Amino acid sequence: MSSAVAGTSARRVVISITALFVLAPVLLITYQSFLTAPFFDPKAQLSLWAYEFVFSEPDFWRALGTTAMLAVGMTAISVPLGALLAFLMTRTDMPGRGGFEPLLLVPIFLSPIVLAFGYVVTIGPVGFITVWWKQYFGNPFWDIYSFTSLVVIAGLTHAPHVYLYASAALRSLPGDLEEAARVTGAKPGRVAMDVSLPMITPALLFSGVLILFLGFEVFGLPLILGDPQGLLVLSTYLYKLTNKLGVPSYQLMAVVVMVIIAVALPLVFVQRLLLRTAQRFIAVRGKGSRTNLVALRAWRWPAFLLIAGWFAGTVMLPMTGLVLRSFVSSWGLGINVLDVLTLDNYIELFDDSEVVSAIVNSVGIATIGGALSIGCYTMIALAQHRWPSAWVRFADYIVMLPRAMPGIVAGLAIFWVFLFTKPLTPLRTTLFAVWVAYTLVWLAYGLRLVQSALLQVAPELEEAARVTGASLGRAMRDVTIPLIKHGMLAAWLLIMLIFVREYSTAVYLLGPGTEVIGSLVVSRWGSGAVDIVTCLSCINVALISLGLMVTLRLGVKLHG
Amino acid sequence: MTSAFSLSAGFQRVAFAAVAGLMAFGAQAQSLPAGYPADYQALIDAAKKEGVVTVYATTDSKAAAPLIKDFEALYGIKIEYNDINSTELYNRLIAESAAGTGTADVSWSSAPDLQVKLAADGLALAYASPEIPFLPKWAVMENMAYGTTYEPMAIIYNKSQVPAEDVPQTHKDLAKLLSTKAAAYKGKITAYDPERSGVGFLMMNRDVKADPASWDLFKAMGAADIKVYTSAGAMIEKVGSGEHSIAYNIFASYGLLSIKKNPNLVMVWPKDYTLIATRVAFIPAKAKHPAAGKLFLDYLLSKRGQAIIAKGELFSIRGDVEGKETAKAVDDLLGDKARPIPVSRELLETLEQSKRLDFLNQWQAAIKK
Repeated sequence: MSSAVAGTSARRVVISITALFVLAPVLLITYQSFLTAPFFDPKAQLSLWAYEFVFSEPDFWRALGTTAMLAVGMTAISVPLGALLAFLMTRTDMPGRGGFEPLLLVPIFLSPIVLAFGYVVTIGPVGFITVWWKQYFGNPFWDIYSFTSLVVIAGLTHAPHVYLYASAALRSLPGDLEEAARVTGAKPGRVAMDVSLPMITPALLFSGVLILFLGFEVFGLPLILGDPQGLLVLSTYLYKLTNKLGVPSYQLMAVVVMVIIAVALPLVFVQRLLLRTAQRFIAVRGKGSRTNLVALRAWRWPAFLLIAGWFAGTVMLPMTGLVLRSFVSSWGLGINVLDVLTLDNYIELFDDSEVVSAIVNSVGIATIGGALSIGCYTMIALAQHRWPSAWVRFADYIVMLPRAMPGIVAGLAIFWVFLFTKPLTPLRTTLFAVWVAYTLVWLAYGLRLVQSALLQVAPELEEAARVTGASLGRAMRDVTIPLIKHGMLAAWLLIMLIFVREYSTAVYLLGPGTEVIGSLVVSRWGSGAVDIVTCLSCINVALISLGLMVTLRLGVKLHG
Repeated sequence: MTSAFSLSAGFQRVAFAAVAGLMAFGAQAQSLPAGYPADYQALIDAAKKEGVVTVYATTDSKAAAPLIKDFEALYGIKIEYNDINSTELYNRLIAESAAGTGTADVSWSSAPDLQVKLAADGLALAYASPEIPFLPKWAVMENMAYGTTYEPMAIIYNKSQVPAEDVPQTHKDLAKLLSTKAAAYKGKITAYDPERSGVGFLMMNRDVKADPASWDLFKAMGAADIKVYTSAGAMIEKVGSGEHSIAYNIFASYGLLSIKKNPNLVMVWPKDYTLIATRVAFIPAKAKHPAAGKLFLDYLLSKRGQAIIAKGELFSIRGDVEGKETAKAVDDLLGDKARPIPVSRELLETLEQSKRLDFLNQWQAAIKK
C-alpha cells in the first residue's frame, strides 16, 4: 500500500516538473499577446490591440487558410504512405528491405531548406531534369513553385515520420493474425488493410495528429518553394509581420501562436476521444509469439517498385540536385556541367574552422542529448502509464503546447525564460540550455513514440509483477521498460535525427562554441554561400547515413 | 587529425598572445596609432584586463575570420564572435539589455535602420572614437553608431541570358528594358521583397529618396512579373542558373563572391546613382566589457582593420585605404553618383508604422499588373 502511494507521488512530481518546463514559455507568450510592447518594456500595457491588428489583416487569413490546407493535404498523403511503407518493410518478404531502412529516414534529418533547394536544382524551372524533359517532351507538367507541389513534397517528405511510428508498433505485433488471414486466402493488401494496420490504429492516429501539427509550423519548404510566388503560411507570415512594422513585434507573433494553440487543443481532445479504448490494441501479451512475414508472392516486385519510386522522388531527386550542386561552381541554362566540375567547394568548406566544430556539436547533442531526452520522455510516459487521473489528462494537453509554437517563437520564449529567471541565467549560453530547448519542443513527438510502445504492453505482465510483491517502480523497471526497449531505441534514433538538423529553436541560445550544423546552414544560406550550404548538407547526409547503417548492422536492433 | 589541428591552432593562439603581450610590454609608447590620445594606453590596459570581447554580428564568421585573427594577435584579447541575423541580433540585444545581465560588447549589423533605432532608444554607449576624423560625416551618428563599410548596391545579371545591348547601366535603362521588352523578361527580374525583408524595404525606400522616378521602375518591374525574395543567396543562385536574368539591389560584397564562382554573372553599379550601404557598429550601453568593446570598435575603424575589410571584399569606408574594394575606388568610379545611406536618425522614419504601411501599399499598387 505504502509503495503505491510513493509511486503515485513520484508520478505527480514528474508531471509537475514537466508542466513547469512547458508552461513557463507558453504562459509568457500568452501574456505577451495581451501587451502593447515587449513584456520587459516598462511602457507595455495590457490591451487587445495585437489581436485586433492580426485579425484585421487579410494576409493573416490567407496564411491561415493556406496553412490549414497544407497541413490537411500533407497528412492525407503522409499517413497512408507511411503506414504502407511500414507494413511492407516490417511485415512482408519484400525484396531489399534491409538496405532501404536507413535510406528511408534521410528526409527526416535533411534540413527542409536544403531539401527544397535540391528540388529546385533538379526539377525547378531550369533544373537539369526539367531542361532535359523539355528537350524531348515539351513543357513539363509540373511547377515546382505551385501550392500542389508544396503539398505533395511536404507529404512525401513527412511520410518517414509516420513510418517510424507505424513500424515500431508493427514490429511488436505477433504474426499469427496476419498468418491466419493469409492462410484463408486474403491478398497482401487485404491483410494490411484489414488486419495489420487496424491493429496499430493508436500509432497511426498519434502520427496523424503530429503531422497535422508539423503542418502548422513547416517553415523551410514554403520559405524556398513559396518564395518566388509570395506564398504565405503562418510561419512565413510571422516574418512578414515582423517586417511590416519595421521592428519585431512580439505581441503580434504571440497572437499567431495563440491561434495555433486554439487549433491544437481541440485536436488533442479528438485524439483522446478516439483513443479512449486503447485497451483494444494490446498486442504484446505475456505469451511469446513468433513473427512470420506475410508472403507477397506476385506482389513482391510491385511493392519493391512502389518503395523505390517513393525513394526516387523523395530522396534521390533532391539529393542528386544537392550532390551535383556541391561539385560544380555554377549550373543551369547554357552551362555544361562537365565544364564546371570542381572540388573547390569542399576544400573551401574544410578551411572553415566553424564547420568542424558545428559537426562535432551536432553529433554530440544528437546522440548524447537525444538519449537524455528519451530518458525524460520515458519517465513522463511511465508517470502517465495506467494511471486514470486528472493529472494524466492535464499532461496530455500540455505536452502538445511547445510544438504549437513555430520553432523560432519557441526559441525566443525559451531564451526569455532563461534570461529573466535569475537562477537559470548562467546556463543560458551553454549546451544545456540548447538541450532543454530541443527536448521541450520535441516533447510531444518523442513522448508519443514511447507511449505507442507502452500502449501495446498488456497489463497482466505488470499485474503479475505487482501481485508477486514488486513495487510500482520495480515493476516498471523490470517488466515495462524491458518490454518497450525497442520502442525506446527507435525513439532515440528518431530524436537523434531530428536534433541533428534542428536549428531555429536554439538560435537565441547559440553562441561561439555551441554552433550546430543547422545554424550554419541557415546563416550561410542568407548571405549567399549556397555552395558551402550544399557541401555541408551532403556531408551531413553521408555521415548520418553511415552512422545509421553501422548502428543498424551492429548492436542496436530496431526490431527484435 | 581534427584534434591535432585544433591543438596546434590553440598553441598558435597562445603563441600569438604571448608575442603580442611581449610587444606591447616592450614598446608601450609607440604601439599607439598616430592621432590617438595619450591616455589610450589606459583603455588598452583595461581591455586586456577584461580579456574578452563579445561581438554580435551579421557578417559571416568566415568573412570576419581575418579581422578576428588580426585583432587577437594585436591585443591578445579573445573575440567571442556570434554570427546571427539582424532580427536575432535586435531581439537579443533588447532582451539582454532589459534583463540587466549584460550584453554584447559590440553590435555590428547590416541593418542600419535597426542599429540606429537601438542607438536612438538609448541602448548604445556614447563613445567618440579617435578614428572619427577619418570617417565621412554621414557615417557617424552622435558619437554612438558608426558605419564601417562602403558597399555599393548593385544590379547583377547573367550574361548568357541578357544580350549586350540589353545590359542596363542606369536605373532608367532597367525601367526601359523591362517596359519595352516586358514579354522577354517576364519573370526574369528579381529583387528583395520589401514586404518580407527589412533590407529590401530600406533599399527601395532609399531608391525613392534618391530618385522619385523609382516608382516608374517599380511599375516596370511589376509589368515584367517581378519575383521577390527574402534572401540574397536564393536570388544570386537563380540568376546564376538562368531561372531569372537580373537581380536588383544586391550587396556588391555578396556579388563579388558569386562572380568569382560563376563567370556568367556580371555586376553593374548604376551610373545615374548607386546606393551605398554600410554595416553599422556600436557599443551597447549594457556591454559586459566596455573597454574591450571600445578597443574593437576603434580597431574596426582603424586603417589596419579597414585594410583587412578591403581585402575581405567588404569595402572599406576610409578614404585613406588603398585597394579595389574601398570607398576611394568606388568613388573614383562613381564620381558624385554615390548615394550613401546615412547612419542617422533620418532612418527612424522608415520604421514608423504608418509611413511604412503607406510605402508598402504604394509598392503593391505599383507592381500590380
